[in-house]
Parts: sequence; structure tokens; C-alpha cells
Amino acid sequence: MLIEANKVFSLGSFHPMVRVEKVEYKPVGVRALLIEMKDLSELMIDLAYSAALFDSPALAEEVMEMESRIDTITYLLNMNVMVAARDAEDAESLVGVTKVARATDKISDAAADIASIVLQGIGIHPIIREAFEKVEEQLTRVEVKPKSILAGRQLGGLELAAKMGVDIIAIRRNKRWIINPEENETIQEGDVLIVRGAPQGIKEIEGIAKGTIQKLED
Amino acid sequence: MASQELFNKIIDMLVELKDTSELMLDLAYSSILLNSKELAEEVQALEEHVDKLHTDFELLVLSAGISPEESKNFLGLIRIGVVTENIADAAAQIAEVVLREIEPHPVLALAIEEAEETVVRIQVSKESSLVGKTLREAQVHEETGMWVLVVRRGGKWVRPSPNLKIDAGDVLIASGYAEGEEDLKKLASPENYSST
Repeated sequence: MLIEANKVFSLGSFHPMVRVEKVEYKPVGVRALLIEMKDLSELMIDLAYSAALFDSPALAEEVMEMESRIDTITYLLNMNVMVAARDAEDAESLVGVTKVARATDKISDAAADIASIVLQGIGIHPIIREAFEKVEEQLTRVEVKPKSILAGRQLGGLELAAKMGVDIIAIRRNKRWIINPEENETIQEGDVLIVRGAPQGIKEIEGIAKGTIQKLED
Repeated sequence: MASQELFNKIIDMLVELKDTSELMLDLAYSSILLNSKELAEEVQALEEHVDKLHTDFELLVLSAGISPEESKNFLGLIRIGVVTENIADAAAQIAEVVLREIEPHPVLALAIEEAEETVVRIQVSKESSLVGKTLREAQVHEETGMWVLVVRRGGKWVRPSPNLKIDAGDVLIASGYAEGEEDLKKLASPENYSST
């Protein structure tokens, strides 16, 4: 299921350059859409808080990307609900789903608001940021460069958790999100990885994805 | 000038706000997907909890004695608090759909892939073999097939990390196949659900 996002943001500045695109109707299962909304909103909130508390513009930009994806899903969900309603009874039992879509929109706006704390340079008190880094695991976003040894490898075979104490919690491939990727997922050049783990492991995986580190330590 | 102690308190609350909002989203969407009133009720209760948490957080930040130069650094904190409350409201709206007592439409009902899946809420009694064990040691999933979604302890909700130790009085909220429901109840509260 690959659906193009309906907004394009100019990353790096906090004024999103919104280009609203038409979202075409596609018959998609309501459950599939709800599950995607659940996964995306949870990840988005996680990334947004981390962006603010670790003062990371890279994570904040990722949140903005996700917001546009949520917009698309919201449109699709509403369209699928409209098509499914044939009479008053249908309308009664389906109106709740549109409410879920509205609430999800609100959640993604909230996440974007948190992320904009970073992008607007409002910031979090440095003392708090330092303390937070001690209590919470780090989160990072890193792009897989062509010369990285990760490109073409299956996640399971890398044993990242055992070797360096990090987990890939999501992969963005162009406009598509793979959340909690399976062991047999193959990492591709250009993938954006969202990684969680201890600070040392995070540094290592960043080097490996960039290609500056060319081997996996045991 | 704000003290280190105050900063530590702010950190603790920030972590709780973050964890609670993620938990609420998980439970809210799960309540729709599993058509579970139990989960929806937890979300409603959590929403009230967040309201209180948010007020405490704001009071805490305001008591920091903020100087003009520092104000920008504290504005970010205030905003995070406001946004957390928005998220909690949205989660409560999602859960409210389940509590409205309207039969889910076939597109949703069909959607519930495993029609047999159910949500259980059970209080751990003093007699339970779970008391004093961590979730990892307790092996709830291996024993019953149920996954613990959240643990309610007094007025708090705790995400189930493997190292979380189970206390008597904890309320476990778990999902899984209907046949696991009895097993979990027996495990958590053997004197009330003995196999006779």
C-alpha cells in the first residue's frame, strides 16, 4: 500500500511550504487504515517529544513528514467510510470512524506543535535536556548512504540489539513508512532509519549508516 | 534561580507526560480495534489523570523563578504541557466512540480480524504467584496467551516493561484470545477463580 503524501514541506525552515495535492479515492480496508494511524501517531508522538527534548531538528523534520502522511490517511479513511454508508443505520455506525480520523488529525497537529518548538528555536532548558539525555534512551534519524555496509542487508542478520544495543524502530522509504520492521526487511540505500538506543550505540550506527564505519563490531 | 532539585522534578514529570500520552494513544486505538469498553474506560480515566498532571507540571514550571533571559528555555516546557493535554483529549475522543453503545459497522467489525480477541482487566491478589515477580519472570504470555497492555497501580498507569515488578493490588489489563481470559484470571486471583 503506497500512497503519495499530499503535502510537500520545505525542510530546514519552520515555515512549511504547503502544496496541497489531490488525494484520490482507493478502496482500502478501514482496519488497515486504523492500524496505520495507530502506529504512525504513536511513533510521531515519540519522535516529537524526542525532537524537543534532545533538541534535534532532524527528528522534528521527520515528524513533519509524518504529519503529511497522516493527512493522506485521514482523507482516505473518510472517503472509504462515505462509500460504505448506504443508509441511515450505516451512517450511525460509521460516524464514529470519522471521529477517529478527526482525533488522529488533532494528534498529528499536536505532534507537529511539539516538533515546531525545535524548528522555531524556542528550545528546552539546557539543564533539562542534559538530565533527560541521562534518563531516556536516545533516538536518532539517519540516512543510509550508498557506501554503507547496511545497504542490502536484512535487519535480522545484523543483530544490532545484541551488538550495539540499538533498535531500528522505523524505516522511511521515500513517502512510505515501515514501522517496527520485520527481521526479513532488507535495508536499502536511501532509507531513512529511526533508531533508538544507548548513546554509544547511536553514535556507532550513525557512522555505519553514513559509511564512515565499515564494519560491525562483535 | 531554579534549583537542581526542581529541575529533577520537571524531568520526572516530562517523562511521565510523554509516556502517558503514548500509552493513551495505544489504548485508545486498541479500544476501537478490539471494540473494548474496558480499554475505553481506562483511556477516559487517564485523560483525567493527565489534566491533573498538566496542572501540576505548569505550577512546577511557574515556580522556577524564571529570569527574562531564561524565559525562552521555559516556554518550550509550557508548550509541551499544553500539547500533551491536546493529545490526551484526542485519545479520549477516540475512546468515546467505543463507549457510545452503537454496534460497529461491518467494515469495522469485519475489521476485527481475530473476532475471538478480547481484553481482560484483573486485579492481582495477595495469593497470586505473580506477586513479587518481574513481568519477564512472570511469563504471563507463555502461561496464558495474553499480552499485558498496561498495569494500573493506585492512581498511576505503568507501561509493561520486562523489569516491572508485579505487586499485590496491581490491575493488569491484557489482550489476547478469549480462551486465555480464564487462565489469566486464575493466575492473578487464584482464590476467586479456582478451577472447580
